[in-house]
Amino acid sequence: MTKNQVSMGKKDILGLQNMTVPEIEAILKTAEEMKGIISRDIKKVPTLRGKSIVNLFFEASTRTRTSFELAGKYLGADVVNINTGSSSLTKGESLRDTLFTIEAMGVDIIVMRHEAEGAADYAAKIVSPVIINAGDGAHEHPTQGLLDMFTINQYKGRLKGLKVAIVGDILHSRVARSNIWGLLKMGAEVHIAGPQTLLPRGIEQMGAFVHKRVEDALDQADVVNVLRIQLERQKKGLFPSAREYARIFGVNSARLALAKPDALLMHPGPMNRGLEIAPDVAYGEQSAIQEQVQNGLAVRMAALFLVLMGGDKIETIA
Amino acid sequence: MKLLLKGGRVISPPQNMDEVIDILIEDGRIVEIGSGLVAKDAEEFDAEGLIVAPGLIDMHVHLREPGLEAKEDIYSGTRAAAAGGFTTIACMPNTKPVIDNAILVSGLLQRAQTEGIVNVKAIGALSKGQEGHELAEIGDMIQSGAVAISDDGHYVESAKLFKNALEYTGMFNKPIISHAEDDSLASEGVMHEGAISAMLGLKGRPSAAEDIAVARDILLAEYTGSAVHIAHISTMGSVELIRQAKKRGVAVTAEVTPHHIALTDEAVVGFDVSAKVNPPLRPREHVDALIEGLKDGTIDAIASDHAPHAFEEKDREYIYAPSGFSGMETSLGVIITSLHHTGILTMKEIIEVMSTAPAKILQLDGGEIAVGKKADITIIDSNFEWIVDSKKFYTKGKHTPFEGKKLKGKAVATIVNGEFVMQSGEVVK
Repeated sequence: MTKNQVSMGKKDILGLQNMTVPEIEAILKTAEEMKGIISRDIKKVPTLRGKSIVNLFFEASTRTRTSFELAGKYLGADVVNINTGSSSLTKGESLRDTLFTIEAMGVDIIVMRHEAEGAADYAAKIVSPVIINAGDGAHEHPTQGLLDMFTINQYKGRLKGLKVAIVGDILHSRVARSNIWGLLKMGAEVHIAGPQTLLPRGIEQMGAFVHKRVEDALDQADVVNVLRIQLERQKKGLFPSAREYARIFGVNSARLALAKPDALLMHPGPMNRGLEIAPDVAYGEQSAIQEQVQNGLAVRMAALFLVLMGGDKIETIA
Repeated sequence: MKLLLKGGRVISPPQNMDEVIDILIEDGRIVEIGSGLVAKDAEEFDAEGLIVAPGLIDMHVHLREPGLEAKEDIYSGTRAAAAGGFTTIACMPNTKPVIDNAILVSGLLQRAQTEGIVNVKAIGALSKGQEGHELAEIGDMIQSGAVAISDDGHYVESAKLFKNALEYTGMFNKPIISHAEDDSLASEGVMHEGAISAMLGLKGRPSAAEDIAVARDILLAEYTGSAVHIAHISTMGSVELIRQAKKRGVAVTAEVTPHHIALTDEAVVGFDVSAKVNPPLRPREHVDALIEGLKDGTIDAIASDHAPHAFEEKDREYIYAPSGFSGMETSLGVIITSLHHTGILTMKEIIEVMSTAPAKILQLDGGEIAVGKKADITIIDSNFEWIVDSKKFYTKGKHTPFEGKKLKGKAVATIVNGEFVMQSGEVVK
């Protein structure tokens, strides 16, 4: 057993591609402690008192924004939400100027959601507050990847050696990319499937197994992570109809039965019940979907804590 | 006014000339070539250890004037050309307004006379407003000095319009330059479609989008018997299609850019807006095919596709940043570094693709050093080591994917019409 000192102080969280295994372990371990706080009657702790966090959301979001907001508040930080709803593109002000304005107010963390891939990387290059990427286009959604791993670990007790199936629209999914990076780093096997039109060319080079049939990805899987399908993709000619999608690619009880009997079913939300996921399995006993939401809060508390408090007090046992 | 270039290694591809010899220039013309030339009243330039080449020609430049002067104008663009060693540049018509009629062509050329310090050639639009619907006044533009016709920046989606343009332009014996990327496949994409785009979550521009467009353009050139020049080819498919077409005798020529030769799509990692360009940077196997195409003559010319943008336009989220970047001031250095010092091309072959071939495609008086020829000359130090620093650029466009890169090889003097416009990297006019 070796002891690893991990310091994430002042470190941006832009994606799981560039996060180290000790860093991932530190967040997952800290999140366990945070989960304890969430279950308390009085949740507020003074840990981040005097720190300020801006949730800068250029894209509509309910769960991620609320999750980050409560995470900051439970830890005692001051949290401000900026929901532009529309991008800087239509607003006229450049992203650089928006970020400079927020920086000038002495903010410690900017949690940013943006429809443009690379927006968080761009922000991290030009302003000094810590940037936490809360989703940039189809690129990454690191805290979602972390909460998914935390959830898997909670039920399975490990990540290493597990077979995780990710099913659906990989092309447009930042959740898929963060999951693939994170899970592979932690020693899991990732199998992806979905309509060929929604599997980006070259994705196999990330290290995941790519299947033509959903059934093959689900076969003996320990975890089944179902991605949201957006109906506007159909209008763009990427699949013929919602009906056909549900029939051929939807995860229902018959398909879920191909996975291991104790396989965990996950979905990042919001769900299209009856489309990518059948309601009976979404609410069935294998479903961890509700648990994912609570874990999201714990993981985000851990992330905020570690990037602000340096995390040098956190020791992980590797 | 006389100028004597002493002791340089003179390379002139048309005569297969490569020898240390003197050149005497008088009143803008080359009047004598020989050993041990003496001219009492001439300014002498010691070219020992340097290469004396026919003036380099960049046949694909965006000067941005009129209308887009925040990106570039004739003043800054021709100074960037001089700094990069180019004595002649041909500018694309995608300005505001689009150069799509004779008065705009002659106005541009006239303005270039007063503002410019190198020779500026105009390329006229293929369709009115580059909208892809109706033919522009191609004949009138050519008679006013347009050297080629192009809707560059856009693919001419309508095969019928493109066929008509080939037939019509062919009457005037000028080439059509095609930006060959099928829009329906490419328009959403912001980089090459492949492993890197999959990883970054960016929409891809498939190589097939270019292959399909190049194939159609070649077939229509073959069908009409007119000349087509394919701009900035970037795929192995294009190279193979053009190779086969040339074997069949189709009047097709092609250019490649320094960035498609020297970089791959990995340059986009980190969402670097300086690596965003159309057609996109491609993976290694495509780059290798392009180099092979240059070696075997499938690709005729190197052009920079100099496409400057204002800093604030480029400085934003990758997917919203405009495509293209400055190229004239790095072009020669990048090519000598990646093709000559690696043993792929000789300096004569480089001068061929950067001067002689563009002159031939655009039917310009140039690309050759000979008595009686206009004295447009580029003097090159192929071993000069330098580091790309956009702060020193003459172009207004400060974005370049070569920022901070160490290059070996540079133009050290540019002579237009017998007069220095650049010496030791400094524009002197």
